Amino acid sequence: MMRRPAAFLALCASLVLSTQALAAELPQRWVSAGGALSEWITALGGEARLVGVDTTSQHPASLKSLPSVGYQRQLSAEGILSLRPGVLVGTEEMGPPPVLAQIRKAGVRVELFSSKAELPAVDENLRHLGKLLGAEQQASTLAADYRQRLDALHVNVKLAQAGQQAPGVLLLVGHAGAKPLIAGQGTAGDWLLGQAGGRNLAAHQGYKNFSNEALAALDPDVIVFSDRALADEQALQALLKENPALAASRAVREKRLVSLDPTLLVGGLGPRLPATLQSLAATFYPLAQASFAQ
Amino acid sequence: MLQVEGLYLRRGSNEVLHDIHLQLPPGQVVGVLGPNGAGKSSLLSVLCGELAPGRGRVTLQGRPLADWAGQERARRLAVLPQVSSLSFSFRVEEVVGMGRMPHGTGQRRDAEIVEAALQAADAWHLVERSYLALSGGERQRVHLARVLAQLWPGEEGATLLLDEPTSMLDPLHQHTTLEAVRRFADCGAAVLVILHDLNLAARYCDRILLLEQGRCHAFATPDAVLTPAALKAVYGIDVLVQAHPERGHPLIITR
Amino acid sequence: MKQRVQPRTLFISLSLLCLLAIWLSLALGPVSLPMFDTLCAGLRLLGLPVSEDGLQQAEMILGQIRLPRTLLGLAVGAVLALSGVAMQGLFRNPLADPGLVGVAAGAAVGAAVAIVGGAWLGGMPDAFAPYLLSFCAFVGGLGVTALVYRLGRRDGQTNVATMLLAGVAMTALGGAAVGLFSYLADDATLRTLTFWNLGSLNGASYERLWPLLLVATGVAVWLPRRAKALNALLLGESEARHLGVDVERLKRELVFCTALGVGAAVAAAGLIGFIGLVVPHLVRLLAGPDHRVVLPASLLAGGVLMLFADLAARLLLAPAELPIGIVTAFIGAPFFLFLLMRGRG
Repeated sequence: MMRRPAAFLALCASLVLSTQALAAELPQRWVSAGGALSEWITALGGEARLVGVDTTSQHPASLKSLPSVGYQRQLSAEGILSLRPGVLVGTEEMGPPPVLAQIRKAGVRVELFSSKAELPAVDENLRHLGKLLGAEQQASTLAADYRQRLDALHVNVKLAQAGQQAPGVLLLVGHAGAKPLIAGQGTAGDWLLGQAGGRNLAAHQGYKNFSNEALAALDPDVIVFSDRALADEQALQALLKENPALAASRAVREKRLVSLDPTLLVGGLGPRLPATLQSLAATFYPLAQASFAQ
Repeated sequence: MLQVEGLYLRRGSNEVLHDIHLQLPPGQVVGVLGPNGAGKSSLLSVLCGELAPGRGRVTLQGRPLADWAGQERARRLAVLPQVSSLSFSFRVEEVVGMGRMPHGTGQRRDAEIVEAALQAADAWHLVERSYLALSGGERQRVHLARVLAQLWPGEEGATLLLDEPTSMLDPLHQHTTLEAVRRFADCGAAVLVILHDLNLAARYCDRILLLEQGRCHAFATPDAVLTPAALKAVYGIDVLVQAHPERGHPLIITR
Repeated sequence: MKQRVQPRTLFISLSLLCLLAIWLSLALGPVSLPMFDTLCAGLRLLGLPVSEDGLQQAEMILGQIRLPRTLLGLAVGAVLALSGVAMQGLFRNPLADPGLVGVAAGAAVGAAVAIVGGAWLGGMPDAFAPYLLSFCAFVGGLGVTALVYRLGRRDGQTNVATMLLAGVAMTALGGAAVGLFSYLADDATLRTLTFWNLGSLNGASYERLWPLLLVATGVAVWLPRRAKALNALLLGESEARHLGVDVERLKRELVFCTALGVGAAVAAAGLIGFIGLVVPHLVRLLAGPDHRVVLPASLLAGGVLMLFADLAARLLLAPAELPIGIVTAFIGAPFFLFLLMRGRG
């Protein structure tokens, strides 16, 4: 090839031109209907392209100043079209279906992503987003980094488990402390707890209420609480006040309580997770705390 | 003509009417009297088809009452109930106008009849007012106008059944109402009216059916029916019966 | 005696208001279209040849989004209002509401079965899901109403008071059933169920519209023909019978009409309350209780109110959308309280 500089030059030129052409085809105005997706878009440097987000897109805080297209399951076709988007991205939770059909009919691309709580989903989402943003390199870097951090976490958890038993854990999702739902099998919360090396004591499927007796019977070692209305300390106070049955549990007696941002539980796995998992693991395995430091 | 033969009626486990025979000839006002629970309202219910008798026949102009189609029957038989539960603010003339429903006589003729009926019931001055704004007695008169309008002008073949039409009226209007009913009968209609007031019955009825515990105690002219013995037996009251000084019909005075 | 609005004045005003509402509903929306474009696109939709260019967006917005939505709003509003009149006649009470016979509760249960059951079965193919939902809601509404009607019948007579109590009981039972489904549902289905319960004209499309249009037309044609009989029914069942009205048949027809109409409306747009209560009341306040006026006027007024409520739902939080049931509740509840305070109209 080097013997034919002209051909080589032509090849390079065509590559450059085609990349330009591809870039011209990349959507410039984005509407995102999914909290985790919006975070990934921002992580990939695409925040400037966002012209509208749904109500679950709350990180980073700068997204809140964008026009809101409502709840991801109740999108308005005309509302989204009024933002003149080139693409609408969202998870399979996006809806209602007739509205998506109307948006497609209007010539707007609708790209679907997975909201499943598993690693291959993150890989695929990042790959897809990278392609749409024209940031494939960055995307694969992020994906690799994500995987590496999670792998490192797993290793550390295994090490920690040599010296400590996996704690029995419950994840309570509440609203101002009242009537908390317990994250059961198959939920995003369950995935989080598992990744951080905790043993989810809840055997049911999905998110369910428990009676006070059932709560007391479970007696978790660590309680992870997630509150939609209050933050950290206030949430904890409210939780203990509304659920006196917890006061007797080992977790409360030994003060092993940790709060979790509720936005991490919806819309798929987002970029803030590895850091959160580290701090969860640190609470689960206090003896090995140092290894979980950032 | 409305006719009843061998009527027996049970409600629940009680025999409410026992072997009643009754004829309502055109041009006559038949009054039904009796103490509470004697079966007056039940008899009216059977006569207008609300209740089916256990035994016996009710016929209107020779045909069983049940065989009459709704509208056809409504052109010949009208019923004025004791209470009305209308809770919408119709105008007085609209309420009376509903009486013209079974007929297809057109708006203008209907309006004329409505006016005439209201005049007859002495309620013409209430026109244009809201029904809900009227007193109990005024409402009663509006409904009287309605049933009069339904059978207007009250010729032979029309039957009017009235359940205590004077219960809420002041003395003047008790009389004007029964006089309107009387005039209606004079045009040829047959009328049956349940009354509580013995003297009103004595004055306005051609014949009186005196009921006692579902049985016919007497069915004859007021003179023959309203005797101290009969009234003592049926009502348990002691009375004097005298002739009205000006009109001659029986005047019942409780002792 | 308070002055009544003349029927002719009322109909002319309502018709003009209706045309205004339709025009606003087509012309306004989150996407701001130039008026000229809207007019041209509208004319082209009507089949007239218009040679303007660049109308694709206007045509798409108008033809695919706003026009079906407007038609849906008119149909739902008209049917709900007419059903309100029917129920107020049946129960002889101006405070009656189509929900009293349990239609809304039954439809809610049907929808819950479709939403939660569909999720259990591993999700329905997207094209299928809306039809399944509408179908289940419709069947649920009809089913519960049929049951309530059956409970109210004895010896060939329909006892309205018993029906009312049966309707209240079924509504409570329906609420419990929906609650149970909510409990069994996961977070996602729960949200869908909640939003359905709030009602929305969002996503209106011609395919889903025509069953409702059919039913609405049927009800709109049939019910006004029973206007005089309905007037008589207000006097009382016996009185109506003595005026020659076949009361049992009329009651049956009223229940059926309501079940069909409200069932179809709820199937198409979710639970939307207060229209059936507020619209007939307003019309009676203005023009008196004669059904020959109240029925056609409620038909128009229902459509108008729905369209205005939908405008608010679409524009207040644009580009997001309020569920329309919230808007009608915000209009309806204060109005209802106002009525109660001034005494029945």
